[in-house]
Amino acid sequence: MSTFRENEFHLLKALAEAEEGLLVGELATRLSLDQSLVMAAGANLVEAGLAAMTEQTYQEYRLGDLGRPLAAHGLPERRLIEAMDRAGGSATIAQLPDLAGLDKKGVGQCLRFLLAKGWAEKRGGALELSATGRLALSERSPDELLIARLAEVEESTDAELEEAGVDTAAAMKLLLGRKNVVRVKKRKLRYLEATEAGRREATTAVLRREVNQLTSAMLADGSWKDVDFRPYDMAAETEPLVPGKAHPFRRVLEQTRRVFLEMGFSEIVSPFVESSFWDFDALFQPQDHPARDMQDTFYLARPGRCDLPEDEVVEAVRRTHEDGGDTGSVGWRYRWRRKLAAEPVLRTHTTACTIRALAADPNPPRKVFCVGKVFRRETVDYKHLPVFFQVDGIIIDEQASFASLLGTLEAFYRKMGFDKFQFRPAFFPYTEPSVEVFVYMEEKQDWVEMGGAGVFRPEVTEPLGCRVPVLAWGLGLERLAMFRYGLEDIRQIYISDLAWLKETKLCQ
Amino acid sequence: MPVVGIPVSLLNDRLAADLGRDELIEELQHLGCDVEGYATLRRFKCRHCGNIMEITETQQPPVLCRRCGADFSSAPQSLQSLGEGDVIRMELLAVRPDMFDPGGLARTLRAYLGAERGLRRYELAPPVARVVVHPDLSGDLCPRPAIACAVVRSVALSDDIIKEVMNLQENLHWALGRDRKHASIGVYDLERVRLPELRYGAVEPEGISFVPLGYDPADPTSSLTPAQILREHPKGVEYAGLLDGFERYPLLTDGDGSVLSMPPIINSEHTRVTDGTRSLFIDVTGLGRRLVGRTLNVLVTSLEELCPDVMVEQVQIAYPDGEMVTPDLTPQDVDLDVEATGLLLGVDLDATALTDLLERMGHDVAPGGQGALKVRVPAYRNDILHPRDLMEDAAIAYGYHNITPRLVPTMTVGGERRVEAVSRLARETLCGLGYLEVMTLQLTCERRCYDAMRLERSGDHVEVSHPISSEQTLLRPSLAPGLLDTLTVNAHREYPQRIFEVGEVTELADTDTGALERRRVAGVIIGEKMGVTDVRAAAAAVLREFGWGVRTCTAPLPQFLPGRGATIIADGEAGEREVGVLGELHPEVLDAFRLRHPAADFELDLTTLTGER
Repeated sequence: MSTFRENEFHLLKALAEAEEGLLVGELATRLSLDQSLVMAAGANLVEAGLAAMTEQTYQEYRLGDLGRPLAAHGLPERRLIEAMDRAGGSATIAQLPDLAGLDKKGVGQCLRFLLAKGWAEKRGGALELSATGRLALSERSPDELLIARLAEVEESTDAELEEAGVDTAAAMKLLLGRKNVVRVKKRKLRYLEATEAGRREATTAVLRREVNQLTSAMLADGSWKDVDFRPYDMAAETEPLVPGKAHPFRRVLEQTRRVFLEMGFSEIVSPFVESSFWDFDALFQPQDHPARDMQDTFYLARPGRCDLPEDEVVEAVRRTHEDGGDTGSVGWRYRWRRKLAAEPVLRTHTTACTIRALAADPNPPRKVFCVGKVFRRETVDYKHLPVFFQVDGIIIDEQASFASLLGTLEAFYRKMGFDKFQFRPAFFPYTEPSVEVFVYMEEKQDWVEMGGAGVFRPEVTEPLGCRVPVLAWGLGLERLAMFRYGLEDIRQIYISDLAWLKETKLCQ
Repeated sequence: MPVVGIPVSLLNDRLAADLGRDELIEELQHLGCDVEGYATLRRFKCRHCGNIMEITETQQPPVLCRRCGADFSSAPQSLQSLGEGDVIRMELLAVRPDMFDPGGLARTLRAYLGAERGLRRYELAPPVARVVVHPDLSGDLCPRPAIACAVVRSVALSDDIIKEVMNLQENLHWALGRDRKHASIGVYDLERVRLPELRYGAVEPEGISFVPLGYDPADPTSSLTPAQILREHPKGVEYAGLLDGFERYPLLTDGDGSVLSMPPIINSEHTRVTDGTRSLFIDVTGLGRRLVGRTLNVLVTSLEELCPDVMVEQVQIAYPDGEMVTPDLTPQDVDLDVEATGLLLGVDLDATALTDLLERMGHDVAPGGQGALKVRVPAYRNDILHPRDLMEDAAIAYGYHNITPRLVPTMTVGGERRVEAVSRLARETLCGLGYLEVMTLQLTCERRCYDAMRLERSGDHVEVSHPISSEQTLLRPSLAPGLLDTLTVNAHREYPQRIFEVGEVTELADTDTGALERRRVAGVIIGEKMGVTDVRAAAAAVLREFGWGVRTCTAPLPQFLPGRGATIIADGEAGEREVGVLGELHPEVLDAFRLRHPAADFELDLTTLTGER
């Protein structure tokens, strides 16, 4: 006794009941199954030696798109011989269109069929009806018979046509030069028949159910054991799914923060609206410095002015600007104005944040950093935005040195994924010595400037009560993101195309 | 930064070393020069006025003289080709004007490469000429008090050198002069100047007339008053702003009372330098004596480097408060502590090593006692304000590439801000709910954040005083408009869309700067069948992950459909507090952002939740 899945079971029963082989199409109707499923079940039975499959091929004929008009109006060459007959058995080619009611092109196209059928012969410039042609006037040629038959029955097999008295072989030969008049397809008839073994097996066969879905009920009553699970196409593609994701630039910002946290830095914050004092004056930038120009810095209509810190600090900064104060510097040698220092600006760099932190607590050891937005009066284009992110950090330490600044920068850039650096001298108003970091970009085959750094000038640190070296650096972060994501236009970061957000991979 | 092209041949002639092309670039980079690379320049000379023009390989020869306006397309014979030459293109290092020209740059390189250590000395002839400075220039009528002058004799300038001097003058105006405001340079034909006594005075706007440079002295209408020059002469119009608020104008005249120049605007035609000029009178006027003196020092010492045959002669300057001579090339003495230098740089240095480094940066060095060195800084250096600046010079001579990077040995414990940790939780929650994070611009405008949102213009925001565009006039007071903008640009993408942003909004506040940032999170969803329940669920999920309960109260919020807006009240250990709003956006709001599907949003204030600023 064997068990069978549903389709095989019913098919075997049906085959065993029949005396002889059955057409697959008929089995499909009988079993209410799709032909393809009958074939699949049949193939399984054949493989098990329970059934045999035989095939019979035949041709199926139908009229093509150009066949219908021919069936309706008759072949043009017939119209020609009829016209020639009316004209006394001969006509010049020039006369034919009028005589036959065809246009010149139509006549030209059917001449070769006329001649091939031997219905007419050329005599000088004229055509003359041949003996065959005269015979044809009363008898239809095989191609005409085929077209007429197909117009009647829509489709027909070669056997049926033969029965109807159509010489299909001769007809198809005549139609050789006429495309799309009659379409022929090779068809197969498949028969399934039970073998002896099949007939024996059918008497004892047992049905085994096959299911698509495993259900909670099956798990509860254990019936999953009595059924088969139809296999799925495990190679099939699925719809792409995109998770909710952090913005690609956010991942750069978070990586930057994480790197400094890993290196033992504390995170600090300061306001976007900043006094000129903390943004410029405390950093020893003279009050007529071009960076403070209205062209480059956003000054504010509201709020109108900022409070300055306690007088002691303001006074120390004033004196340092004017003549160096107690710092040993010669200063900038101009009259410093408190009013200008109280003017609010949108902070132009996050160094405003680190210098505030330094002033709040100048005592070593301290390591702090800030990742935040800064503002420059830039017209928006593919590489400039009026708002962008910077990271700034400082180290206040008795043992800090220019060499440890270079080491800190190197550690940072290594963690950000770069491994070739150059340190080049640079100038910034508030650091001395100053350095620019270049990293080697394989994609560009060149060194790219990544950020500026230095040791805060004594003119910066001493008025704020700090007497140990302070290492400082600042870096724009959009640039890093643009390299990482291959962006050509910085605006892409802030005017987000959702397709880009979805496509950018988390690993990038 | 402007870019300068240093002719390779002029530079190499003055280097006492044979450097390969790449080697030269490397050494310049070690000195802090931002080198772009080599290029070929073609030079042309205007036969009318002697002006020399440079073009790069990709540019077309000039059709007009930029100085006298001669038209070369109709008279090609007036344009003389001076041939071409290789230059090193580099960005000007504003703090080192003494390296702007091939002469000064070669001087730095010779010392740095060890061929000519220590202070470079220049011979100066004693003064013959004297400039009397009128007290008016120190007052409010005409505040341009400082002047420094020099006489240069035995000048035989080739076209190449003339171009270098012209470039240097222009670049000094940029770097030290702040476009002539702090210092402006005038160069005159000494033969046309009546010595010995000149006068630097102040003149009424209509008090004199003279023919300005470039005007035809034969034409009687060429003689202009200072006021006319400011109105009519191209240079007058360009620089008139420098004399804003002046009731009188600076004027430099010679012994005959004829005009040399009206600083900082224009020279007279009478004293124009020509091909035949053999001696020069030079002045630098400006706001401070130190700066005009340094500017003159850079100019005359570079001139000496460019044409070693010249003789520079000092000029006596008679200020109302005393006499001095310029150029004054007395070195600046700075004491430098050897140990402090080594500690700051993180490099092992003794007095001998440090002396060697400083000599290679062009300074003279002598022992100064108590572990210090007495450093004599050249008078053309304007950037040594503090001994720290010499430490940088030493570091550059040592070579940044030779310093071993290390880390500060002190242990510190780091930590993030609480609001960042909370922001991360909000992002994780919303990403888990299928929202995409976006970032939008911090600057926005009233039309977007009030009008489009159906809100009253409150004025409770930070406003910039001179915006770049009418789209960016204020710091955003809310995140919602930026999110809706993002939906607008994504109108053609698949719906529904769920996006969020975590970021700062700014409000006016009683702080030292008058404003305050708040960290917010906002989310919006758009699409058919999307609504208030979806955003309420999302906002509640965020608050729940923070450990807060949530309650919403219907509120009349104009940006939402009536009856479909609410305030969000968070409920935690510290009690209830209002932390945000949510609702289904009003069709007029959707229309203002050109959105064609229903949408709902929420906005939560994380600063209120964490209580941290």
